[in-house]
Amino acid sequence: MDFRLSLEEKMIQRTVRNFVKNELMPLEQDVLRNEREGRPGLDPETLRVLQHKAKAIGFWGINTPEEYGGANLGSLAMAITLMELARTFVPFDFGGYADNILYACTDEQKQRYLIPTIEGTRRSCFALTEPGAGSDAANIRATAVKDGREWVLNGEKIFITNGNEADFAMVFAVTDKEKGPRGGITCFLVDRELGWRSERVRTMGEWDPAALIFEDVRVPEENVLGEVGYGLELAMRWIGAARWAIPARAVGSAERLLNMAIEYARTRTTFGEPIADRQAIQWMIADSAVEIDATKWITLKAAWMADEGMDNRHQASMAKLYGANMANRVVDRVLQIHGGMGYTKELPIERWYREMRVFRIFDGTDEIQRHIIARNLIKGHVRVDDFLD
Amino acid sequence: MNIIVCMKQTFDTEARIVLENGAVKEDGVQFIINPYDEYAVEEAIKLKEAEGGVVTVVTVGPARVEEAIRTALAMGADEAIHVEDEAAFGDEVTVSEVLAAVIKDRPYDLIIAGNQAVDDGSGQVAVRVAELLGVPHISTVTKLEINGGEVVAERDAEGDTEIVTAPLPVLVTAQQGLNEPRYPSLIGIRKASKKPIAKVAVAELGLDALAIARRSSVVEIVLPAAKGAGRVLEGDTGARAQALVRELRQTSKVL
Ligand SMILES: Cc1cc2nc3c(=O)[nH]c(=O)nc-3n(C[C@H](O)[C@H](O)[C@H](O)COP(=O)(O)OP(=O)(O)OC[C@H]3O[C@@H](n4cnc5c(N)ncnc54)[C@H](O)[C@@H]3O)c2cc1C
Repeated sequence: MDFRLSLEEKMIQRTVRNFVKNELMPLEQDVLRNEREGRPGLDPETLRVLQHKAKAIGFWGINTPEEYGGANLGSLAMAITLMELARTFVPFDFGGYADNILYACTDEQKQRYLIPTIEGTRRSCFALTEPGAGSDAANIRATAVKDGREWVLNGEKIFITNGNEADFAMVFAVTDKEKGPRGGITCFLVDRELGWRSERVRTMGEWDPAALIFEDVRVPEENVLGEVGYGLELAMRWIGAARWAIPARAVGSAERLLNMAIEYARTRTTFGEPIADRQAIQWMIADSAVEIDATKWITLKAAWMADEGMDNRHQASMAKLYGANMANRVVDRVLQIHGGMGYTKELPIERWYREMRVFRIFDGTDEIQRHIIARNLIKGHVRVDDFLD
Repeated sequence: MNIIVCMKQTFDTEARIVLENGAVKEDGVQFIINPYDEYAVEEAIKLKEAEGGVVTVVTVGPARVEEAIRTALAMGADEAIHVEDEAAFGDEVTVSEVLAAVIKDRPYDLIIAGNQAVDDGSGQVAVRVAELLGVPHISTVTKLEINGGEVVAERDAEGDTEIVTAPLPVLVTAQQGLNEPRYPSLIGIRKASKKPIAKVAVAELGLDALAIARRSSVVEIVLPAAKGAGRVLEGDTGARAQALVRELRQTSKVL
C-alpha cells in the first residue's frame, strides 16, 4: 500500500496551497473586517478577480466534466484541493461548478440551468428542508398540483444555502400524496421570476441561509428535473455528493488551527515557562493531531472509492460524522490553548468555532449519520471488516 | 532561441529545519525549486513566449528532484535533463563541472540560473559554469532584455543598478525582483507528467569522477542561535539613544 500522492496530485496540492498562501491569506484581515461591519467577507468584484486569476491557470470547474470545459479531476484530487482551500476562512471557491443533479437536465434545460450555473451567470440553490421536515426529508409537505401544462407549487422551505442570492431553486415537492416518498416527490427548476420569495435566516455563522416561500407559484411542466416522482432519488444524490467534502474541508481548517495553537503554545509563557511544556496543553495538541490524521485518511478513502466507482456512501457517512466532530473538538481546544485571546475577535478562531458548528448539522446530522452507519451494519449491507481482508 | 535553465531543488527554508548527524534531516522536509531558480525558470519561459524557442531545465540531484523538474515542466519548460548520479553530488566544483559538461555540446543562446541556492548559499555554481564554458556572465539580474544578438541586463549592485550588455551566448543569474513566477497551470501539470526527462550519468558525459570529486567538505552545520527576548529601553529619547548605541557597541558588537 502506498500512501503517497502521485506527482500530479502533489503538484495540484502545492499549486493550490501556494495560491491560498499568496492570494487568499493576505485578504484575511479584510474579510474579518468586512464581516464584522456586516458586509460579505469578499466583495463580488474581488472574488471575480481572484476566480479569474485562478481560471487563467486552469483552476476552474475542477470537478466539472470536460465536455463542459471543466478539468474533471476526480474525487481524490478534489478532496486534496478542498483540504488546501480550507486552510483559510476567506470565502473563495474556484467557480465553474454546478450541482451534480443539474446534469439530469434535458438538453433544453441544460441551456437554461446547467450551463449558466457552470459559467457563473446564474446561481442555484437546493431546496429540500422544510420547517416540518429536516432529517426526515421524505416527510416534506410542499405540494405541486398539475393544472393544464403547469404545476402549481405551494409550501415553505427553510435553511436554504444561497437561497437569498439564487436565481433559481431546485425545489422538492409532493406530486402524489398516495405514493409519498415512494415515487410521489418531484424536483422542479423554479426561477425566482416565477414568483417565490426568500427571507434571510440569521445564524451564528457568517453567511445566512434563507427561507423560501411559494404561494401558488406556477411552474411550466418543462421545468421538471428528471422524471415526475423521481425527486427523492435526486435529493439523495445531491446530498451524497457533498458528504465527504465536509470532512475534507474540516481537515484543512483543523490543520491550520492546530499550527496556530502549536505556535502560540511555544511562545506563550506562564509561571516562567512556555505553556507548550505543560502536559495539559500537550495532550490537547496530541489528541488533535491524531484526530486530524484519522479524518484525513477516512476521507481520502471515501474519495478514492468514488474514483474507483465503488459505493462510498457508508464510508462518506463515517468521514462526515468523524470529521465534523473532529473539527469541533480541535477548534475548541485551539481556542482553549489561546486563552482569552482565543475568545476575541482579534483572532479568527472564534469565527471558525461558529462556522464549524454547522458541520454537525447540515448534510445529515451526527445522529442521522450514526443511524445510517449502524443500519448498514445491522442489516448487513456493509461488514465491519469490509476493506482490509 | 535555446534557453537552458540550471535549477536546484532545495528544502523549503520557511519550514523548520532539523539537524541530525551533522546534516539537515530530509525526512518530513518539504522540497521546492530553489526560489532564485524559480525566477530563472519564469524568465526563460517568458522569453520563450516572446521570442520562440525551447527551454531546457538541467538539474543535478537524487530521485526526489523529479518533483522540482515536473513543476518546472508544468510551468512551461519544454525539456529536462536530470543527472542522478552519486558521482555528480559533490561541492560547487563537482556540480559546475557536471552542468558545464551537460550544456557544452548542446545548442544554447542563453543560460539562466539562480543567483544562489537558499540552502548553502554559495553563489558559485552558475558563475563557474560560465567560466568552464568560456561564455560571459552577468549575475544578480533584476531585468533582462534580448536585443538582437545581445542581452541588456540590469543588475543589482549593492543597492545601485548597473546596466550591462553582453553578446549571446551568455549566462545570467536571477535576483529577486526579476519577475513574479507563475503558478503551474492545471493543463501544464497534466502535460508535465508525460514529458520525458533525460537521465544522464557522469561517465556518459566524458567526465572523470575522480577529477571532479569534491575539493571541500562540510565540517559542521549549526543552526543560528535562538533569538532571545527583546528588551525595551527606558528613559527619554536622548537616554534611549545612548543606551542603544552602547548596546550595539558592547553587546551585539555591530558598531
Ligand atoms: C446553515 C445551514 C444550511 C443548510 N442548507 C440547506 C440547503 O441548502 N438545503 C436544504 O434542503 N437544507 C439545508 N439545511 C437544512 C439541514 O439539512 C437540516 O437542518 C438538517 O437536515 C437537520 O434537520 P432539522 O434542522 O429539521 O432538524 P431535525 O430533523 O428536526 O432534528 C432535530 C434533532 O433531532 C435529531 N434527530 C432527528 N431525527 C432523529 C432520529 N431518527 N433519531 C435520533 N435523532 C434524531 C437530529 O439529529 C437533531 O439533533 C441547512 C441547514 C443549516 C443549518
